[in-house]
Amino acid sequence: MEKKPNSSIDYLLLVPGVGFIVLFIGSSIFITITQSFGILSVTGKSQFTAANWIAIFHDKESLDSILFSLKMGLMSSIGTLLFAFPVALFLRKGGAGKRFLASLIKIPLFIPALVAAFLIINLISYHGIVNEGLLALGIIKKPLRMLNDKFGWGVVAIQIWKNMPFVLLILSSSLASIRDDTIDAARNLGAGTFSVLFKIFVPLAMPGILVSMILMFIKAFGDFAIMSVAGPTYPPSIALKMRNTATLFQEWDKAAVLGVIIILTTILITWIYSRLAEFVTGGK
Amino acid sequence: MSRLILKDLVKKFDDVAAVNHVSLEVDEGEFVTLLGPSGCGKTTTLRTIAGFYQPDQGEIYFNDRLVNNIPPAKRNTAMCFQSYALFPHMNVWDNIAFGLKMRKIPQDEQKTRVAQALEMMSLSGMDKRMPGQLSGGQQQRVALARAIVTQPDILLFDEPLSNLDAKLRVQVRVEIKEMQKRLGITSIYVTHDQDEALAISDRIVVMNQGQIEQVGDPQQIYLHPTTSFVAGFIGLANILSARVVAREGARVQLELPFGRLWAFAGDLRAAVGDTVKFSFRPENVVRYREGAANRIEATILHAIFMGDAIDLFLDAKGTRLRARAESAARLKPGDVDAFSIDETAFQFLE
Repeated sequence: MEKKPNSSIDYLLLVPGVGFIVLFIGSSIFITITQSFGILSVTGKSQFTAANWIAIFHDKESLDSILFSLKMGLMSSIGTLLFAFPVALFLRKGGAGKRFLASLIKIPLFIPALVAAFLIINLISYHGIVNEGLLALGIIKKPLRMLNDKFGWGVVAIQIWKNMPFVLLILSSSLASIRDDTIDAARNLGAGTFSVLFKIFVPLAMPGILVSMILMFIKAFGDFAIMSVAGPTYPPSIALKMRNTATLFQEWDKAAVLGVIIILTTILITWIYSRLAEFVTGGK
Repeated sequence: MSRLILKDLVKKFDDVAAVNHVSLEVDEGEFVTLLGPSGCGKTTTLRTIAGFYQPDQGEIYFNDRLVNNIPPAKRNTAMCFQSYALFPHMNVWDNIAFGLKMRKIPQDEQKTRVAQALEMMSLSGMDKRMPGQLSGGQQQRVALARAIVTQPDILLFDEPLSNLDAKLRVQVRVEIKEMQKRLGITSIYVTHDQDEALAISDRIVVMNQGQIEQVGDPQQIYLHPTTSFVAGFIGLANILSARVVAREGARVQLELPFGRLWAFAGDLRAAVGDTVKFSFRPENVVRYREGAANRIEATILHAIFMGDAIDLFLDAKGTRLRARAESAARLKPGDVDAFSIDETAFQFLE
């Protein structure tokens, strides 16, 4: 049956949803961008200037926090992938305890990031369960610094735990679409476990891998909650830095610059993703 | 190229034997078809030969080599799947070259062999296409090329034609047969389509409920079925039981509700008074002509015009029979007509 084209009345249906996005999100993004150039400024007079941008790029702490957030985004997305992919492969095959495992893995979905962060603090803090356990077993002499560490391992650990279910869902559906015959054909033609993994599973799951990595990156890059609980004292993450700049130092225009950087990075990463996806799937 | 020997093969799934004590020897270069209804164990047998399943009992030999514990990747078989199972992320060339890459064949040789395979399967010029851009027939040919390019010891076919339309199916099965003869690769072919099996095989193994019912060349299987399952599964058959009432040289007389029939006994050992089971084909039940043997009268229930013949459903004093008439015959339901059954048409069953 042929569908009639939308009449002008039908477009009214869009008003609540699209209108909301345009009005609140769109306009605030617009204001953030203009503010970063001194226009429509909340504080001081409104006048075009590149001074905020120059100041941010000359401020070591800002640069460090941008780099640190990029690092956390990258590490978290790679880390989650490394943990989730084998589990997704196992769940594809199934076997004993598949249902139990599948529901166990979904638990983090129901726990807010901040709560998750506090839960994991119990585990990895200076006098947390892991350190006390290792000390008791005599494996280490001195507690390890895993929380608020300079590198950000604590943050990465919590991100991985928190985001496993999302990534697993995406990867599972990606892997489920691979036919058993395809795997059997590869094995039949001489592919061992390693070749089946890297020549068949990974390339065929690549769209899912890319989607999950990009989502993970965006979440971890702009994250506030986990970074503020488990992140290092220096540098702050870009979101923390933005909060500090705006509320602690009342430099809203500079905070706007950081906001624009977060948005731009997200757009850039998404663009790279779409190009990669095109490359992987041959442009289909 | 390999001889294939299956010795007392058993494969169970949750205590149900999908393959139940199957023994079979396949000669080098032979084309053997495993034929049977779905669930008869033919595909399980094939997948066990390929190494995808580990047998619960029994042995599989390629020549003198016991392969039970050799993983699929090392068996040097090549399988053509019902779904073609092409790698969707690789173009035609890479699909065909996959097995060669896995075997670490030098680049130059890969090129020559893939090019040969492409030409053999009339796929030249399509090497850069992705599987999604090919028709079903083309995909099947890529799958065949991918299988033969590795020069396997044994080719395994798992209902490779069932996704093709009827005309293409006939064409591709001729191509498969020709290719197999030319290359002389031992082949095991699984199908539930009896026409396909009859057309393509050197020998047919009819399977039912995990066991072998009969092994023979296509003519033997069709003309001389030994069990009622085979008689009923291959082509159409009238399968009946009757008491032997007389024996005269090489002939026996059988008593049926619609009359007494003389049948050529072959090596039937039954004595007078025994009850025997037998079959005859619809094409052996024809309209009576003067002097023909075994005249019977029957009422026509249905007469279905098939183009080259008329399919008849008969009622002979309460016994349902299938018969065949020439396509020009004027027959209609309700007519009572005389038919005859040739004495040599009877196949006695176990």
